[in-house]
Amino acid sequence: MVETYQMVICGVGGQGILTISDIITIAAQMKGLNVLGSEVHGMAQKGGSVITNLKIGKNLNSPTIPIGTSKMLVGFEQNETLRYIKYLQPRGTVITSETVLFPITWKKDKEAADKARESIKGNLGKFDANVHFIDAEGLANQAGLALTQNIVLLGALSQVEGFPIADNDLREALKLRVPPKHIEVNLKAFDLGIKAVKKNN
Amino acid sequence: MAKLEELIANEESKVLCLGNEAIARGAIEAGVQVFAAYPGTPSSEISMAMNAAAPKLGFYAEWSTNEKVAMETAFAASISGVRAMTACKHVGLNVAADAFYSFLYMGCKGGFVTVVGDDPHCFSSQNEQDSRWLGVSAQFPVIEPSSPQEAKEYVKRAFDVSEKFEMPMLLRSTTRVSHARADIQFNKFESNFKEGEYEKTNRFACLPALARANHPKLLERMEKIKEWLPTSGFSTIEGPDNHTEFGIITSGNSYAYVKDALKTIKKELPILKLGMVAPLDEQTILEFAKDKENIIFIEEVDPYLEDRISALFIQNGVIPKIHGKSSGITKRYHELNERLVAEALVKVIGGSIVQVNEIERSVEETNDFVPFRPPLFCAGCQHRAAFWELSKIVRKNKGIFASDIGCYSLDPWVTDTILCMGGGIGMANGFSKVIKDKPIFAYIGDSTFFHTGMPALANAVYNKANINILVLDNRMTAMTGFQPNPTEEIDIADVAKSLGVEYVVVFDPYDFENGKKVFEDALKHEGPTVIIMRKICANEDWRRKRRKGEKIEVFHIDPEVCIACGTCIVQYQCPAIRWSLETNSKGKNYSVIDPDVCTGCSVCSQICPVGAISKVDE
Repeated sequence: MVETYQMVICGVGGQGILTISDIITIAAQMKGLNVLGSEVHGMAQKGGSVITNLKIGKNLNSPTIPIGTSKMLVGFEQNETLRYIKYLQPRGTVITSETVLFPITWKKDKEAADKARESIKGNLGKFDANVHFIDAEGLANQAGLALTQNIVLLGALSQVEGFPIADNDLREALKLRVPPKHIEVNLKAFDLGIKAVKKNN
Repeated sequence: MAKLEELIANEESKVLCLGNEAIARGAIEAGVQVFAAYPGTPSSEISMAMNAAAPKLGFYAEWSTNEKVAMETAFAASISGVRAMTACKHVGLNVAADAFYSFLYMGCKGGFVTVVGDDPHCFSSQNEQDSRWLGVSAQFPVIEPSSPQEAKEYVKRAFDVSEKFEMPMLLRSTTRVSHARADIQFNKFESNFKEGEYEKTNRFACLPALARANHPKLLERMEKIKEWLPTSGFSTIEGPDNHTEFGIITSGNSYAYVKDALKTIKKELPILKLGMVAPLDEQTILEFAKDKENIIFIEEVDPYLEDRISALFIQNGVIPKIHGKSSGITKRYHELNERLVAEALVKVIGGSIVQVNEIERSVEETNDFVPFRPPLFCAGCQHRAAFWELSKIVRKNKGIFASDIGCYSLDPWVTDTILCMGGGIGMANGFSKVIKDKPIFAYIGDSTFFHTGMPALANAVYNKANINILVLDNRMTAMTGFQPNPTEEIDIADVAKSLGVEYVVVFDPYDFENGKKVFEDALKHEGPTVIIMRKICANEDWRRKRRKGEKIEVFHIDPEVCIACGTCIVQYQCPAIRWSLETNSKGKNYSVIDPDVCTGCSVCSQICPVGAISKVDE
């Protein structure tokens, strides 16, 4: 029996969460696995907090993931990672972008912002979890396209122990999902994400 | 979203799609010939898929002005012998209720299916209405799929059942089925579209004498469905068959939670899953329950199955112990999940779930840290622009502000009431009859205006309501995904004038100077005024321009002029503007505009008190 792999992907609306959940799903399908995801539409406007559930395995039933049962949490923004870390199972793995998007009314100078970042990081460290901080923005720029931050995170999450899809399968799926002219830069971003996690380990 | 080519391809394949798209595919495979709907979360993607597929496959689909019109359209098609369908959200079904309560008496001819999307947890709705009750109250047969794949199969079957019994069918989905994404098995289909034919009969006129005769016929049809149900395959029993202590009765998405919860608590129990929840498969239910000591009901929101089946037990002298909402193992509000169901089952059958305390502790801890990130109007949104000057006028005059359903429910400044589609104008009318010393405002969007705003406007004119009706005409139904509506062809100003409104003004919501004058002028006018703020939805306009590669003329802030007063950020709350983490040459804070988000609406440059904001390149 294939054990169901449960993961949560969260961030702020418009960050490209759906694209990576699509790529994971396409890759899983190619491996003969089923995927069941759950999203919320409607009031979730651009800029709101967004969460997507993904279950990968066989004979999947309910689409949502209860608190405390996700093997992995992927965060596109640190506040959102903190907001949804409750979905992680004890000793689960967190892949989070170092990006912090402060609520728009937040008025601080650089020093205070750095302090706030430190405090979020500190709070994330309080949980019984294996947290990887990824400089998604920096690595995406390094790959050559700021929009590939989500793909950097995809590369990173592919290295998490127990994740049921191999990185090569994700590469194949990626080629099917991103615009042809951007395949090269996306593959580069993907590999930089992989390296970033390996360096952390 | 699945691609249109995949959705309409006539082949056997597995396609990754939303539950709602699976429902649309089911309708396509069933050969539906007429589809009519008004959008509403969580049902909109069904209608979007059907409207996109219709011209390619050669059937008829329309965006109707409201759910009642959609229902009537589909009903007429059905009694002309073709397969017809409509889809709406739960509260939309209320709008259509006047139609279906009566046409159920008369039955249908061509297969007729209505899909209703219930929204437990109010993700995007004003209430948690459980539409299964309509099955009892209107005698509407209700089927409830438990997964996107089953939803597709049920839609297909529903058309067959509808034709077999000449009964319209209601398929109840919920957000978690409609917005689940899964790989769905598609099947080949045959489309045998034909001309409709209306055979002259008095069957379809619901005059009192005919209605009196039709009511028993309706009940007879429901009885026939009930008799057929045990062999229909809609009811399934699984799990150990020699178990006499406990049995679970469930339906819809709750079935999926039961399956996962039993896995979590490592138990096997008999489960009766009801695919049709009205009428009830009484024979199978009684058979299942007769040797069981305890029956556990697992269902979302209302105790629909529990109340109906408990009554059935009493009527038949079957008296197991009942566990469900009545004994408090699940709540009567919000949605379920695997854990809540596992906890509910453990309360009845014993056992334990590990790590609950640990998880609860971490939930409390995270809640303390995280800043609230409320949904905001999009960058450049003309609702925000409209509300800006308007809110000052309303506050200054201590006005009462009756808003409506749409993106504008996100207004952070002046909204007093929101009730239902088109409810703002009706409520403003009521306020105006009892509150004489304050101005009364109603706010409504173009789509909602055509949905149910027009009768309320006619009422306000006829009853001489002294109210100010503000119509934000952004040229589309934006909140549910930018669907088209009659504003494309019918000018709301013409509608207002022809209904007898004397004061009708149209202006650009970004033009504050003009807006201020119009609002103040309108307040001096006796009787209803209609003020139309017209501008294409900024978000959709911006996306279209980006797709076409058109240049967007964005704005920027001069750091040396900005005084960091917060007018554009704290007060106006445009998501394209944020505080800079740097300081200017005077060591002061300033704000910056993100050029990737700015839509170039110019409003911030109009409200900046020191003129620090201007178009880039100027």
